[in-house]
Amino acid sequence: MTLVQVLFYLMSFIALGSALFVAATKNLVRSIFMFFITLFALAGLYVLVLADFVAITQVVIYVGGILVLILFAFMLSGKETLNIIAEQRKPFISLSKVPAILLACLFLIVLINVIFKADVDHLGWIKNSIALKNGIAPDAAMTENIGINLMTRYLLPFEAISILLIVALVGAAHLSRKESGA
Amino acid sequence: MEDFLHDIDTLTVHFALAAVLLPLLAFLINIFSPDKKNKTSGWISTIAILLSCFLSISVFAKVWNTDHTVHQKLLWFTIGETKLYAGVLLNNLSVLMLLLVNLIALPVHIYSIAYMKNDEYYSRYFAYLSFFCFSMLALVVVDNLVLFYIFWELVGFSSYLLIGFWFTRDKATQANKKAFIMNRIGDMGLLIAIVIIFTLFRTTDIDTLFGSKEYIKQSFIENGYWQNRFLGPDQIWDPSQFEEISNKIPAIWQYIACGGIFLAVAAKSAQFPLHTWLPDAMEGPTSVSALIHAATMVAAGVFLLGRVYPMFNGTELTVLAIIGCFTAFMAATIALTQNDLKRILAYSTISQLGYMVMAMGIGAYASSLFHLVTHAFFKCLLFLVAGIVIHQMAHIKEDNGLDIDPQNIQFMGGLRKKMPFTFIVAVIGGVALIGLPLTSGYLSKDSILIQAFEWSDGRSWGYKLIPLLALLTTWLTTFYVARLIVKVFFGDLRLKHLKPGISLHISDGGWLYKLPLALLAICCLFPLFSSNPVSYDHAWLITGFPHNAGLEHGTDYHTFIPVGVNILSILVIYGAYAMYERRKSNPFPQSGFFFGLSYNEWYFDKIYDQIIVKPLITLSRYTFWFDRRIIDGFIGMLAMTGIFLSKVTAWCDRHIIDGFIKFLIMIVRAIGNFARRFQGGKVQYYLFSMLAIVLALFIFKTLFW
Amino acid sequence: MISLTHFMVVSAVLFCIGLYMIVSKHNAIQILIGIELMLNAAILNLVAFGKYDRSSNGGQMFVLFAIVLAAATTAVALAIILNVYRRYKTIDPGTIDNLKD
Repeated sequence: MTLVQVLFYLMSFIALGSALFVAATKNLVRSIFMFFITLFALAGLYVLVLADFVAITQVVIYVGGILVLILFAFMLSGKETLNIIAEQRKPFISLSKVPAILLACLFLIVLINVIFKADVDHLGWIKNSIALKNGIAPDAAMTENIGINLMTRYLLPFEAISILLIVALVGAAHLSRKESGA
Repeated sequence: MEDFLHDIDTLTVHFALAAVLLPLLAFLINIFSPDKKNKTSGWISTIAILLSCFLSISVFAKVWNTDHTVHQKLLWFTIGETKLYAGVLLNNLSVLMLLLVNLIALPVHIYSIAYMKNDEYYSRYFAYLSFFCFSMLALVVVDNLVLFYIFWELVGFSSYLLIGFWFTRDKATQANKKAFIMNRIGDMGLLIAIVIIFTLFRTTDIDTLFGSKEYIKQSFIENGYWQNRFLGPDQIWDPSQFEEISNKIPAIWQYIACGGIFLAVAAKSAQFPLHTWLPDAMEGPTSVSALIHAATMVAAGVFLLGRVYPMFNGTELTVLAIIGCFTAFMAATIALTQNDLKRILAYSTISQLGYMVMAMGIGAYASSLFHLVTHAFFKCLLFLVAGIVIHQMAHIKEDNGLDIDPQNIQFMGGLRKKMPFTFIVAVIGGVALIGLPLTSGYLSKDSILIQAFEWSDGRSWGYKLIPLLALLTTWLTTFYVARLIVKVFFGDLRLKHLKPGISLHISDGGWLYKLPLALLAICCLFPLFSSNPVSYDHAWLITGFPHNAGLEHGTDYHTFIPVGVNILSILVIYGAYAMYERRKSNPFPQSGFFFGLSYNEWYFDKIYDQIIVKPLITLSRYTFWFDRRIIDGFIGMLAMTGIFLSKVTAWCDRHIIDGFIKFLIMIVRAIGNFARRFQGGKVQYYLFSMLAIVLALFIFKTLFW
Repeated sequence: MISLTHFMVVSAVLFCIGLYMIVSKHNAIQILIGIELMLNAAILNLVAFGKYDRSSNGGQMFVLFAIVLAAATTAVALAIILNVYRRYKTIDPGTIDNLKD
């Protein structure tokens, strides 16, 4: 049992556990905070896949931006909103969730089935890339790689996504402005 | 010569037909006249009868004792091979009756003009009276039994109409129903007899059967069969074509036919046991009683006997004599105690008719018809007198506001001083009824008595009872007639003793009353019938009919009977006078068995009521109950079954058929409700369904491909 | 050794949890979080496969873009949720059924 394995199991356990908690709880605040932990655990998993820049980006943008946004969005909305949002109406286990659970489980089964059938470990191009020494080494400096690729190979998507971001933000800001009078 | 005779015959027949049809014309005119109180209707009827009278006198003169029977007929209709004729037969009997009816009807019509002048339905009365005259005249001239039956029934029907003339009175309607029903029994007997005769002889012609061709007289009973000597009347049917028709029928039918004739005679001429209708028939107007129920219609029974006389054999004639004698005796005993004037006369009629029937039974054919004629005159006279007396008593009742029965003789008396003319004719009529010498009644009655004794000569003692009873009846007749005359006309008015202080304004009637009475009174005396007042041998009427050849030679009876009877009659008359006029109390017990028997008319009405009427009514009640309960109940049950079935069907329809539909509806609704949820507008459901399909697709792909 | 399969399984589980949240939650923000979870699962998958492509580094590049898109999505979604709340006074997607047939 190497450390990697232990870390992997630990991280995945935290991620999945907190995700389950997020799904199971009815209290919104609790689910948001547990989502925090899920995101952090996921960041850890990214590191294990040798994608450290992505992990940091996840923490900075996802947790620090998106999650905070969600948190502020409902906390600053007013007392009635809080009450309504925070309120639970039904008991913990209710029968109406059964179809959804069933659906999710079935989907899981199907996905896992496909995963095992696809036998991804022995895909051709992966073997090729390992043979060509194209896999990321644990000590590689990926940041430089990401920067060069971003400016050369993926310049168009980069520009496009910046426009998208502006559009989305302007749109969101407009959508959520306060109605004055009418 | 033949043609000349034939033409005269035709003229005679035409006269006879005219005599018959004139009253019919009067009937039609009167019945269709709009005014109910039309005074001329009386004169129309009277003139019709007068003309008819003249015509019948002419016919009588042409046919009586000329040994020439006028018989003309036409083909009426044909059934199969049988032809029925309708025609006119004029022999001695027919023309005598024709004349008699007219001669009696004429005074009655004149009398009625005055008697009914205040009646509400004057025209209807004369219409009915003319209709009766037409029926009776037609009855005596028809030549075959079928037509005879038709007019027999019509006479009965006219009697019904006239008895119930005042139909608003309950007693009158009950009386006319009784008369009609009893007559119906007789009609049934007559019809049976006619049918039996037709079966054997294939003809109903009177002349052929009883007259010149003598079919019935020559038929005989042999080997238990009544046989027809002839195979059939000439040219009516060819026996070779009808092998199954034989010329004989079992002998029992002869007895049944005679029984039928007896029934008819008993019903029409009021013999025992069908006599009870005649006293009740006095509910009609008195002039009607005079014409119909004294002189003519009731004589139709005797006329029938005269027509079909050859049909009877010795035993049947004896039965006839017994019936007649018994009826005479019974009616005389009843008349002794009755208090109603008209009822006494009615029972007297029954008694005298009994004499006539008995005379037929003992073979005194001519005497019976002679008595019929004389009886018609004096009985009609007595009834008309009764009518006047009752009329005057009714005047007294109205003038003084009393509540008495004007017909009750106990309230009368001393009327001889107030109504002398009426008194004289009443005495004449009464004496004729008793049969004292110098009257016509003496001739006819004594002829019957003498022949009764001669008939019982040489037979066993049982047969001798009949003339003895007849003799006794004669003295009873004397007694009640004397009682009647004394109580009504002699003494003081008993009503005045009961209610003193009443005023009397009564008198004889006008000429319309007096003329008929005078005419009839004249006819009650002997000169009309015989030149010899004491012996009936020379009466012209007797010579017209078959009579015993031994009359002229006579037996001791010819002197003994008249003398003995008449002396005793005079003694009885004096006794009655003394009893009812001088003595104020009754020597005979007013109660006791015999009195009760007589006063209650031998309880016949009560017996008939118990034996016949009550069971019939009970039967009708039970059949009514049966019909109501069981038959209607059965129908009701069917109805209930139908209703029950319909209820079951309704339940079935509602619960089973509709239930099935409702079940289908429920399924459709459930499916609809289920399917509706997929379009509920909830986003998560849409998502769920989408994912479910995709999942299903994946599973399908992984599992089966 | 942690193979690719392990990462894929984890990603699958996360995806399904997110799917469950989307289908069954009565709160719009929790549905948003479910969407985020599904996105994160996809991102994990991308990263796991990107380990074997150093030269063009497609995996990690697309992750960056994916994260940006997630952010944009969240912002717009929150704006929509705010408007929905202003209009219907509730954010339970189950009660907002005006588009039903």
